[in-house]
Amino acid sequence: MPDKEQIALMGHLMRRAGFGAARQELEERATKSYEATVEELLHPEEKPPIDEDILYRYMPGYEGALGPPINQAEWVYRMVNTERPLEEKLALFWHQLFATGNSKVDNPPEITQQIAMFRRQAFGDFRDLLVELAKNPAMIYWLDNNGNHNGAINENWGRELLELFSMGVGNYSEDDIKDASRAFTGWTIEPKIPRNPLGRFYWNFEYRPEDHDDGEKSFLGHEGRFNGEDIIDIVVKQPATARFLARHLYNFFVADEPQVPSWNINPPNDPDAIDQLVAAYDESDGNLRAMLRVLFNSDFFKNARFAHVKSPAELVVSTVRLAGNFEGPRPGFNSLAFECNYQGQELLNPPSVESWHTGGEWIDGGALVRRVNFAAGLMGDISLPGVKTIISDLKHRGATSPQEFVDGCLDLVGPLDFSEATKSELLDQATEDGGLNWESEAESEKSKQKIGVMLALIGASRDFQFA
Amino acid sequence: MLTTVAAGRVFDYSYCIGMYGMSGQGFWSPQDFVFGEGDLIYVISRGVEEIGQRITRVTRDHQFLGQFGASGRGDGQFVWPRSIDLDSQGNVFASDDFLNRISIFDKEGTFLSSWGEVGSGEGELAGPSGIAFDGDDNLLVVDSANNRIQKFTKEGAFLGGFGQPGNGDGEFNLPWGICVDRAGDVYVADWKNNRVQSFDADGNFKVMFEGNDNGVGDLHGPTGVAVDSEGDVYITDWGNHRVQVFGSDGHFVTTLVGDAQQPSPWTQTYIDANPDIIKARRRANMEPEWRFRRPVAVNVDQNDSIFVLEAGRHRLQVYDKVKDYEEHSLNL
Repeated sequence: MPDKEQIALMGHLMRRAGFGAARQELEERATKSYEATVEELLHPEEKPPIDEDILYRYMPGYEGALGPPINQAEWVYRMVNTERPLEEKLALFWHQLFATGNSKVDNPPEITQQIAMFRRQAFGDFRDLLVELAKNPAMIYWLDNNGNHNGAINENWGRELLELFSMGVGNYSEDDIKDASRAFTGWTIEPKIPRNPLGRFYWNFEYRPEDHDDGEKSFLGHEGRFNGEDIIDIVVKQPATARFLARHLYNFFVADEPQVPSWNINPPNDPDAIDQLVAAYDESDGNLRAMLRVLFNSDFFKNARFAHVKSPAELVVSTVRLAGNFEGPRPGFNSLAFECNYQGQELLNPPSVESWHTGGEWIDGGALVRRVNFAAGLMGDISLPGVKTIISDLKHRGATSPQEFVDGCLDLVGPLDFSEATKSELLDQATEDGGLNWESEAESEKSKQKIGVMLALIGASRDFQFA
Repeated sequence: MLTTVAAGRVFDYSYCIGMYGMSGQGFWSPQDFVFGEGDLIYVISRGVEEIGQRITRVTRDHQFLGQFGASGRGDGQFVWPRSIDLDSQGNVFASDDFLNRISIFDKEGTFLSSWGEVGSGEGELAGPSGIAFDGDDNLLVVDSANNRIQKFTKEGAFLGGFGQPGNGDGEFNLPWGICVDRAGDVYVADWKNNRVQSFDADGNFKVMFEGNDNGVGDLHGPTGVAVDSEGDVYITDWGNHRVQVFGSDGHFVTTLVGDAQQPSPWTQTYIDANPDIIKARRRANMEPEWRFRRPVAVNVDQNDSIFVLEAGRHRLQVYDKVKDYEEHSLNL
């Protein structure tokens, strides 16, 4: 049987590399070892993907849905029900990094296709991911590469490839942007079948050699008749790219960093951690699985518990997984998508190519009220399967005193490492309620109600906002 | 191709009906349909979440005659409407595989009653999917999550059933659609087992319809099944976006892939009103639009015309089985 620290560490890993896990799963994983779980997470192909036949049999309107929130709801379904948590978490990571928004694309199924591409490329080489990104129809439309022509370049894609997707500001010149853009001329989308009135048809990448500028180019000190893939080959060998990607991984998986636009003036919070990730990138020629293996096995990751404000998607999905009331197809996933939206994260529609501001900026007055009401509402509902399991486990432990009551709830929900101030308030509540009593049916019923209140308070706490 | 010639049969594409519509003229993720009096067709739409659930009355010549049913859990409402059939008086029976009940309307759409109790005991339902009346006016219900077929009176009294979980003869894995042929044999689309099974009226296994070892006749998630006057069997091969045709003894005949090169009148009206759509359609390769997308249900009328409903394209495609087809000049 793993000890409390091993279970707590596993809880940390599953919150960050996934969307949390129930107590029984944490114990089973901790029994197998931390390192074994990291390897399992890094190899999602060993677990079945979401059964799309089942999904589209029962919710056929989710397939290629005409508009949000159904497309968002489909992704939430996948996050809640996946057996490949890190793959899905990485899809969210890449969506945050390569932000592509429906506000312009106006074709959410096409962005959903982009998310599916992120799943396929999530553990491969960064170079291949960037190539697929450059060929992705939603991205081409989002950053105007369909308007990037031989002799009349549009620099939007070329600029963001360097500024927001690989190297960061300060590591290239305006001339580099121009010649990168020239290299991507001819990378466009096939003529599209209109969406109405028979539903969506997927877009397809098309390379038009007659529209490609095949002339001599100069890019980051290299000379040649570069095409798009040549540009990406040069980009991924830049030290700035390794550092930029390392910092993004740290910010998403380890601890909140300053906002991305300030990175050229604000150094990393933990330069040594970034150096380790950069070394992993260099040693593996930019392999993402290799970087993630170093990250999750590092001390800097293991010691960074509750140093990350949950994004709305993380808060909603992890709470639902805890409550256990959205397993498999059922009506209502659109309500979860709306909840993410109301909390400030419209999946498939980030506010700009710069993406969401994260960390503490997820929280404002309105968002906090939504977050608290959502988490407290679910965790306090003693009819939900996940909550019933917690109640059953507490009863099985024989928790009775107020201290055992509070400690048991915090342990089974996390284990959560709450501040002394929060724990003191929870203990006051438990003491006022008189602890738990399982001696009669009437007392047991009262105890269940008390646990519901306690779990709702935990969900409403400041500490619960952190992963 | 518009005309498919195979194994002594000729299937000639005729026309299509319908388009996408959240409400009113159009369908939304339609799941099943049934022929009514004259040229009337009832189409049941699943919609998505709490929008678009209804039964549409439409004629074969594209007249929209209204809709009934709505989203919700009350009388005459649906959460996950799935299948539809008519009794001998023309009353409309519809299954809901979330609410686990059968709702009954008169032919004009006035709600009459409903029945169904969730569970796995005799006469209880778990995810009722396809429904079909037999020659005695009793209703066969694909009790999908219980992996069995149950027979009820019109009023919902349990009469019997057959089937159990598994992949052997007479066993099911999340079955979906069902039909009864002219002889009273029952055909069940055994969805997750990728096959269709036929039974006699007493539930005794008769014929298996599935792909052979070389993949010929393969099915991926068959949903609907229908039988014509000559015994040929049509199966909507939902996962492969096609219709597979088999002979009555289970041998594979041919494949229909969808041929709606000419939009339906509803669709054409929509296109004609949007110059940008006209231009876009002239630029694009339109072939994907012709093809079946999630064919979900099939019925054959008294003339052996084959109607195929597409959940993914919100329309019916119609093929005629031509009986007097001759190729006069093979050296064209």
